[in-house]
Formats: sequence, structure tokens, C-alpha cells
Amino acid sequence: MISLAFASMRARLFPIVLVILALTSSMALLLGVDRIKVATQNGFNQSLSGVDLVLGPRGSGIELMLYTVFHLGKPTNNITTETLKDIAQNPKIEWAVPVALGDSHRGYRVIATSSEYFERIKFAGDQSLQFTEGSAFQELKDVVIGSAVANALGYAVGTPMFITHGSGSLGKLHDDFAFQVTGVLASTGTPTDRAIFVSLEGYELIHLGWSNGSQAISLKNVDVQKMPTERLYPQTITAAYLGLSSKLGLFQVGRSINEYGEEAVSAIIPGVALAELWSIVGSVDSVFKLLNWLIIGISIIAMMTMTMTSLESRTREMTILRSLGATPLHLSSIILAETFLISGFSGLLAVGLVRLLTWVSVDVLSEWAGIRIELIWITTHELFILGLIVLAGLVASLIPAGRVYKRSLHRGFSS
Amino acid sequence: MILETQQLTYQYASGKTLCFPDIQLHAGEKILIVGPSGSGKSTCLNLLSGVLPSQTGTITLNGQNYTTQTRHQLDQLRADHIGIIFQSLNLIPYLSGFENVALSLQFSQQRRANVSNINISINQLAEGLGLTSDILIKQPKAMSIGQQQRIAVIRAMLGKPALILADEPTSALDPMATEQFMTELTRSIDPAEQAVIVVSHNPALVPLFDRVVQIGAKV
Repeated sequence: MISLAFASMRARLFPIVLVILALTSSMALLLGVDRIKVATQNGFNQSLSGVDLVLGPRGSGIELMLYTVFHLGKPTNNITTETLKDIAQNPKIEWAVPVALGDSHRGYRVIATSSEYFERIKFAGDQSLQFTEGSAFQELKDVVIGSAVANALGYAVGTPMFITHGSGSLGKLHDDFAFQVTGVLASTGTPTDRAIFVSLEGYELIHLGWSNGSQAISLKNVDVQKMPTERLYPQTITAAYLGLSSKLGLFQVGRSINEYGEEAVSAIIPGVALAELWSIVGSVDSVFKLLNWLIIGISIIAMMTMTMTSLESRTREMTILRSLGATPLHLSSIILAETFLISGFSGLLAVGLVRLLTWVSVDVLSEWAGIRIELIWITTHELFILGLIVLAGLVASLIPAGRVYKRSLHRGFSS
Repeated sequence: MILETQQLTYQYASGKTLCFPDIQLHAGEKILIVGPSGSGKSTCLNLLSGVLPSQTGTITLNGQNYTTQTRHQLDQLRADHIGIIFQSLNLIPYLSGFENVALSLQFSQQRRANVSNINISINQLAEGLGLTSDILIKQPKAMSIGQQQRIAVIRAMLGKPALILADEPTSALDPMATEQFMTELTRSIDPAEQAVIVVSHNPALVPLFDRVVQIGAKV
């Protein structure tokens, strides 16, 4: 039956090629969007690891995650370093890494933190941040840059740079103090790649003499080398990453921070906040998916229409087969076999096309959007989706197959 | 006895009823069924081939009564015991002559068993009908009508089915080709195991057959 169906399809090559093209494109689109979604979700979930709690000003946990982890939006309030020191005294808290945000450099966010950041903060499970060049900051002028920053701006160890006040491109340049790149981080596929790290003291230094967004005193006339570093430790920070000695104390510590009376602070569990955030972002993906399934539905209808319209011209073929002893079921099977061959072949082509497109765009997506797509042929989930499409095609072709069955059952040869 | 029909009638959905004369067909016999247009020749052929279920009366082929068979069994009976030749357009256009012929073995294990070597069997039948082997590799569109009809005969004969049914097989042929075709067709059958029924409205064919069965409409 399969060989007969194949021969019949070969005789109707042009319309069948068109249907295969339509199905292949829609399947490839579905698989492609799904792969980007999975890669984005993985990148999303793997963007912060090794941190048990994020401490920040009281407010929305999602907002706190957005500006601390994804460097999106602006922090609304700060917390005092006194509060952080006080909270960090809790014996259940093993370490605390403060971060201060607000400035930028050529569109990339500047994160002021301690050098401990590069030891404590992990990504993709338990992978530590690695330096491809140089090391963490030691001095006030030292800067560590993410891989995407290094690639985009062409910076390397030794490159001098100035930081812009605020996150907008029109902010005033802190041109009275030049930083210098001392380390370049290896690519992580997370927002870290697009971040610039300076020490808290260096960050505080460039803000000395600033009030309400404008500079009152220039550092050009100040000998920064003579300034005691401990006095440059900021009074306020944006947030802090906390690591606990035991995960068992997670909710207890979290609750004690949320009930902290001296200042309005809160602690969020990154995993929970990320899941909450994805549930919002993920709805966009659902719309895309819905559109894709609609396209696939239309392609299947096109396949069914082609089969239905070809039935009239195939009456003689069916009559000959009936005369040779083919049962109505045999004839229906030919229709189903054709659908199976068309949709199965389209599925194979779609897998090949997605693989090719992934191979071509993997570097671009990684550098441009920070999305790391795995170079694989097909996943079990994708196989399931393709199987579902083939099944849907078979179900749709039951209509023409049923028509053939009914017709061959009730009509004689002369018809 | 290869085929026997008794008191066969068929009523259309419109209410029109056809009554067919009883037929008894023995091995080696050639029967011509004649009748005017609308007399029910094609319906008779459909009933004899088991494509249309008989409503009253009985049809027995090689000892198997159609009325006791399911639709599926009737299809199998046709695949095993009947070779059919149509008026025209006998061949599937996208298959070669050889593939069209070989298709007759697709649905019948019994006919497959009767063919020890498909290439040799098809070539022997082709030679008997005056066809060269190069015709077999051609597609129907590259053949003449006469060649297409001969390919259809080979397909009907392959695997030696007991009954050969032919529906106006010579209507597209000229008188000379008609006589030649009918001679070749009747010569191709095994008189010990096979019989032929040809349905036609052409009275010129009468001398070529052992018996003639007249069909006429009856309301």
C-alpha cells in the first residue's frame, strides 16, 4: 500500500510539494519557537544560582529580581549597609554580597559589588564565573566586564573607560575618574555577559560630591590614592545576595528579614521569584504557540483539501484497484498512507531545517540576545509534537478516506 | 462448474428492477452477454464480480455462494478467482505496464502462489498476446489503446483466476483489431480451469462465443 501511495504521490508531485512546503514551514516554525522558548527559559532559570535569598527594599519581589538579576528597570529604593550588616549577623547566614546599581556605560549596566561576587554567584546550576582574561578587581579603578560587553565594545584588559551617571544614554559622564578593565568574564549565557562590575568603593568614589543627580565637586582636584578605602564603603546599597549555611533555615531567615523592624526590607527566594516572573513572560510564548498551531491547522486543511479534490480524478484508479480485489479499507488505507508520508516527510524536513537554522544562528542569538540554543537534532518533546501533527493529519484525512470507503462500498465499476 | 446464477434480480433505489437469466458456466466456456443500453449489462457484471451485493437469487463461483459471504470475503473471492477487463482506461496511469500487471497479485495470496516466477509468467502472457517486453516498461500514455487492452488482459490472466469478466473490451478497437483481440483473449485461457464472460452490445462478436445470454430490462 505504501509503495502504491508513493507512486500515486509521485504522479501528483507539484501540489504535493506545495503541501509539503507549507507543512514543513509551519512545523519548523513551531519547533524553532519552541527551541527559542526552551533556551530562553533555561537561560532565565540559570541566570542566578548559589544564592538562597535576595535582600532588598520592601516591595515587589519580581521588580527586585528584574533590576538585580536581569538589570532591567530602575531600583526605586536603597537599603542601608547598616541593615545589611545587622541582618548578616544572623548565624544562619553564611555570606552576603552587596550590590549597588544605577550607573551605566554605553548602554550596559554597571554593578558595584565586592570581589566576593565572582566566587559566590553561580549560574546554570553550580557553574562558577570564570575569567577568560585578567582577574577580579583589587583597586578602585578596576573593572570586570562580561563577555558580551567585551565582544561588543572590543574591550580587553587595560582598556580605560568612564562611567555614565544613571542608566540612560543622556546621563552625565563621570569623566573625572577613569576606570580600567582588569578582568573579562567567560560567556555564561546570562545577563552577567552584558554587565560591567566595579567595586563598591570605586562606585562610591565617583559619586562623592554628587547631590540630586548633579556633580558639586570634581575628583580631578582630589588625590584619590590618599583616600582611606574603608571610608569609601557606601552607606546605602541596592540589594544583597545572601547565602545560608543550611537550606533548612531558608523560610525562617526569610521570615525574620521580612519582619525586620529597623528598616523596610524584604527577602525573596530567587527560584520562586523567577518562576513567578516566567509565568508572566511565558504568556507571550503561549500566543506564539497558538499562532503556530493555527498555521499547522491551516496546512493540514490544505493537505486535506488537496486529497479531497484529487479524489474525483482518481476514480478510475480506485475502480481498477477494486476490480483487483482491493477492499474499501485498502483504498482508504492508501489515502491514509499518503497523508502519513506527506506529514512524516514534512516532519523530517522540518527537523533538518531547524537544525540548519540553529547551526547558522547559534552564535548570533547568543551574542545578540544572550539565548543559547543547543545544537541538537530533536528532543523527545519535539518528537511528541511532530507525532501529534502527523496524528492530526491522519485524523483530518479520515474525511477523504471515509468518502473513498463509502463510495467504493456503494458504487459499482461503471461509476 | 465455475459459475452458476439462479433467479438473480436487482432493484435500483429508483424502484426499477432487473431480472437476469440464469447462467451456468463450465471450464473452457466463453459466454457473451448482450443487451441494449440500460438493459443492466454493467449491473450484471458488478453482481458477478461481487462489487454489488446480490439482493435476490444466488451466485455461486467455484462452489462459493455469494449470499453467504461477507463483503470482505467477496472482495477476497474477486481477488482470488476473477480477472476483470474494462472497456477502456484499464491501467493506472502512473505505473508501468509491468507494474500494472503485477498489481493483480497484490491482493491475492492464491494468485501469487500460482505464479512461480512473475517475470517469466508476465513475459509468456505478453508473448501470447503479441506484446514485446519493451512495451511492459512503458507507462500507459506511451501505449496504443490496443496495447493497453492487451496489458489489461495479461493482468486479468496472471495467477490464473477461474473467471475472466470483460466489459465491452473491444469498444475502442476497430473491427479487425476486435476480432484479433477476442481471438487472443479466448486463446489465452486454460480450458481446463478457466472460463470467460464478455459483456457487449456488439452482435458481431456472437460467432466468437460458445453461448450468448440476452439481457433485457423488465420493470
